[in-house]
Amino acid sequence: MAVYRRSRRHRFVLLLLVLTSVTAITLDFRGEGDGLLDSVRGGARDAFAPVQSAADRVFAPVGDFFGGATRYGDVKAENDRLRRQLEEARGETLRQAGADRERQSLLELQDLTFAADIPAVAARVVSTAPSNFQLTVTIDHGAEAGVAKGMPVVTGAGLVGRVADVSAKRATVLLITDRASNVGVRLQSSGDVGVARGAGPGTPIPVDLVNIDVKVVEGEPVVTSGLEQSVFPPQVPVGKVRTAKVAPGALKQDVTIDPVVDLQRLEFVKVLQWGSQP
Amino acid sequence: MGVAALTSDPRFRAPLVVLTALILHLAVLSRVRVAGVMPDIMLLLGIAAGLTGGPSRGAAVGFVAGMALDLFLQTPLGLSALVFTLVGFAVGTLETGILRASWWIPVVTALVASAAGEFLFALIGTMVGETAMISPRLGVIAAIVGVGNAILAPIVVRVVGWSVARAPSKGLFVV
Repeated sequence: MAVYRRSRRHRFVLLLLVLTSVTAITLDFRGEGDGLLDSVRGGARDAFAPVQSAADRVFAPVGDFFGGATRYGDVKAENDRLRRQLEEARGETLRQAGADRERQSLLELQDLTFAADIPAVAARVVSTAPSNFQLTVTIDHGAEAGVAKGMPVVTGAGLVGRVADVSAKRATVLLITDRASNVGVRLQSSGDVGVARGAGPGTPIPVDLVNIDVKVVEGEPVVTSGLEQSVFPPQVPVGKVRTAKVAPGALKQDVTIDPVVDLQRLEFVKVLQWGSQP
Repeated sequence: MGVAALTSDPRFRAPLVVLTALILHLAVLSRVRVAGVMPDIMLLLGIAAGLTGGPSRGAAVGFVAGMALDLFLQTPLGLSALVFTLVGFAVGTLETGILRASWWIPVVTALVASAAGEFLFALIGTMVGETAMISPRLGVIAAIVGVGNAILAPIVVRVVGWSVARAPSKGLFVV
């Protein structure tokens, strides 16, 4: 009898906790951005920000060690500087590759250069996602600095992702390699458009909806399409074509691209204060 | 009222352990990645509580740990809480009555339960509408999380056992 009563109590506790979880999940879905749960979440992230910054300073060598790199002091600083220069140079090359076609478009539209006229917030990447199922980074600026949900995030080289969540002092950036990420892209040489959907960490990004009769060249630059309603401004470098093939009988091409930004080693990014519907 | 006073009161121990684990998870373990996968110490808390305190405590600690972690994830709030509750309860139910004389029982339990927890997370995540959580990579994630948590298990089980114990403190390492 005692055993029976005890197991009934256990089941009651389980039921209670499961129902609470399910309720929270439901509320989170219905909340749509401005619910109570969001403010609780934002509060927790802001409250944790100083702890995380301190811990980051203390444990940064640990991360470096486990990352297989042993860069310290001057070497690390110089390495970072060089990497940034290289990224910028890479982006520059990509931008120039499509210059011909771009000049034509410019004549028609006049306002196409990679984010030059968009106000931006510079931010530092403070941590990666504490999860195995999402590819995000946390940056050290939030709503107080003018960062808002949905804003595109770039480096000197090109597109990083978009702001998925924002609290007062922190923002979470969804990387373009995350499986939940969709980016409208344009193949720079041919001008055809498609959608780049993330496929996980370290995996080339597949591009959907590329027309079957378009000739796609390996190494061809890919930029954001910036079509109407797009969350990204046009002409931001995204990547380079890695493979392009047409399966027999297929209605579209299988195109994959390598991101132009080194997403594993993000350090500084810029949040573009850009909305598709100003 | 110092740390000693705080840790001698059982009511403060479990929250203290969850908070410490959360800081470790967010600041340290998220950097310790093998093939891009990090161990999941918050899931391990629920498993350890189930092992040492039975189904109710496993479920309760799993719930609190999951909810705390959910605050920092993009997945729906409550998803980790739900999964960790179920895993903590299951471990507690299965382990009740088993004599834990051998050191490897917690290790093997952590390995199996952690891997199962990752599958359950992806499964329930997909059910509530998260995109593409079930993929070939899921197997890799489950395997690495299982091994990582198994390595952490001996120390975490000991700490959690101390925090959920109903009896007066015997000290952390005098079990």
